[in-house]
Amino acid sequence: MTPKVIFHVDLDAFFASVEQNDDPSIRGKPVIVGALPGHRGVVSTCSYEARAFGIRSAMPISEAFRRCPQGIYLVPRIERYSELSAAVMDVFSSFTPEVQRVSIDEAFLDMTGTERLWGPPVDAAALLKAKVASATGLSISIGIAPNHYVAKIASGLRKPNGLVVVHPEGTEAFMLELPLAKLWGAGEKTQERFRELGIRSVAELASFSEARLASLFGKAGGAFLYGAARGRDSGMMTSSDQGPRSMSAETTFERDCSDRECVEDVLLSLAGELSYRLWAEGYRSRTLALKLRLHDFTTLSRRMSRGSYYLSSSDSFKDALALLEKAWDGRTEIRLLGLCFSDLESRGSCEQGELFADGLSGEGTARSRRAEGAVFEIERSGLGKVTRARLVGRRENRGRPGPRGGEPAP
Amino acid sequence: MKFTCEKNSFAREISFAQEIIASKNSLSIMSNVLLEAAEGSLSLKATDIKVSFETVIPVDTMESGAVTVFCDKLSGILATIPEGDISIEQDDSKVIVKPTFKKVRFQLKTISSEKFPELPVANDEAFFAIPSKSFKEMISQTIFAVSDDETRYFMNGVFIEKVPGGLVLVATDGRRLSYVKKDFDANIPDFKGVIVPPKVLGLVLKRAPDEGMIEIAVTEKSIFFRFGSYRISSVLIEGQFPNYQKVIPESQKNRITLKRSDLLDAMKRVAIFVEQKSRRTFFAISNGLIVISSEESDLGTAREEFACDYTGPEATIALNYKYVEDPLKVMDSENINIEFTEPNRAITVSPEPGEDYFHVVMPMQIE
Repeated sequence: MTPKVIFHVDLDAFFASVEQNDDPSIRGKPVIVGALPGHRGVVSTCSYEARAFGIRSAMPISEAFRRCPQGIYLVPRIERYSELSAAVMDVFSSFTPEVQRVSIDEAFLDMTGTERLWGPPVDAAALLKAKVASATGLSISIGIAPNHYVAKIASGLRKPNGLVVVHPEGTEAFMLELPLAKLWGAGEKTQERFRELGIRSVAELASFSEARLASLFGKAGGAFLYGAARGRDSGMMTSSDQGPRSMSAETTFERDCSDRECVEDVLLSLAGELSYRLWAEGYRSRTLALKLRLHDFTTLSRRMSRGSYYLSSSDSFKDALALLEKAWDGRTEIRLLGLCFSDLESRGSCEQGELFADGLSGEGTARSRRAEGAVFEIERSGLGKVTRARLVGRRENRGRPGPRGGEPAP
Repeated sequence: MKFTCEKNSFAREISFAQEIIASKNSLSIMSNVLLEAAEGSLSLKATDIKVSFETVIPVDTMESGAVTVFCDKLSGILATIPEGDISIEQDDSKVIVKPTFKKVRFQLKTISSEKFPELPVANDEAFFAIPSKSFKEMISQTIFAVSDDETRYFMNGVFIEKVPGGLVLVATDGRRLSYVKKDFDANIPDFKGVIVPPKVLGLVLKRAPDEGMIEIAVTEKSIFFRFGSYRISSVLIEGQFPNYQKVIPESQKNRITLKRSDLLDAMKRVAIFVEQKSRRTFFAISNGLIVISSEESDLGTAREEFACDYTGPEATIALNYKYVEDPLKVMDSENINIEFTEPNRAITVSPEPGEDYFHVVMPMQIE
């Protein structure tokens, strides 16, 4: 069997790069997309300039502001990011039909057998970068490996605008030379445990038997680490619980998190991102699933189906919260949070007519759905920008954080 | 409390009570049935807070008293003991159930009858009586169209409204609507239209007799039914039922008349290839002919044609399979009418000759 050629492609500091592209005045400055200082929220993405201040994704905004008060803080414009993400994904699809979108800024491309079309993987990668740049002005980092797991690690090694190729025969060696801190999936807690146990390198980790690792890190964690140290794909990247017609978004916390507000904020942004993508790509869904990976790698998921379609973000956030309530005890530290719409149907096809066309009294959800749809259509048609009343003024707030400091987010 | 009674008649009422009880938590009073023995009779009560039930059966009472027991287990016990007389006796905080002819003895934990919630009651004057059979027919014509989408809670029940000379029942899920109106001689007191949860209507449909009358009372918050020795009530759904009159087509331009069994049989065959998610089914109509077909899929397609009574423009209407099948199943006339004006506007399904009910269905997009 010929080894697979998997590309993991990551848009570099995606949200922040989009903001910097759209507004030249903030290029080269620390840009933090997530929430305004003084408001609840976490860092969604930050520019490389901001990372120099120690700011990381999923860090509370208050913490980011403490580290970098001069930063430019912005509320995410998911609809704009969705639009560009779709454009990037279109470029990917022109390279291979097998594009697995992981989130708004990340995808796996199965490039196996495309050599005759695009040449060797390295050439294909260069072409891919050029096409993405010309279509959107954005830069990407690419990891190429025989499986998803190693490709994911590889893409993260030389950001931004990186390219790391791991050949099938070099996979084990690549992993053994990898700094332990770069072992994807081994977060802060696990790293701490490594230190306690005196494990200083992937090579040392690889010398442990699977049974020994299971006794040290639990069954799921042990099995994962055993495979990870050998560059084996545990299937974590290609979660099997997603049907072919599903759409998901997930966030890994910088530090395992048990703070309810922080978890809910991440959930809100996931719900927003996913709902816009659902709309933008012309789908609808009645089934929402929540994925929760705890600090010990235990992965839980809860799903619910309902009679009417999700099309508004507040609507899906409400149900996502209910699912969180079912899945989480409110104390256990969470490492990853994901949301997924499944059983997607394309909107518009097979549309069942509604008897009460001009809206039902008391039917708030259908109204807000139509409103969000209308907003989205207006933006897409280029007629202008529409924003929620409570976010009005955010451009004016740029660079002048804190006028409403301490006020809880609505 | 102590009484003896015939097992079967007792078991029948306990199973009715069990249908109402929603809780399976043995610690909750809501999982219990209240037994209250008086001279010569036993009254039973059960509730899930929303729907309440009460009945009286004749028993031989040795000692009057009241107690509540876990209905789930009591009904399990009754299902296993053979027919014959049984005795039920309270012993401190326990109830002992035993057949009079067998050495079996069950002990059930009890909760004090004082903890049992007060069930709502309506004044005798509020009740009006109509033939039970007619009311049950009205329920069957509408109950299936109720929406189960909790975000549209105000459609989660059947709308019951007093109109001059009778009653109207309407149910809709926003995509199809079922309507029935019957005239009654009874002097029905005025009440504002109410939304009645399907659970209580299902119980009436199942338990009310085909002979005799059913008594109904509507108050601000509840609806009450009395038939035989039963008293059932339910809390109403709050909210505004949509203005259904607006969506009932006043007149339709075209009418197809066909045999109900022809249509049902053909649909059953076509159903094999109807796409399960959208259930979209095509009805192509031309002079004297109807063609029913499924969506084309990778798996294949189904198509059936048969004669019908129609003269008018050719048209193709796409409909949710279930929205056509549901009303056909509750109709009993030999022939039915399907009326429409344009393929993308609401159609009407009704019996031929016309009766007191009809069903409105909104089509799906063709493309």
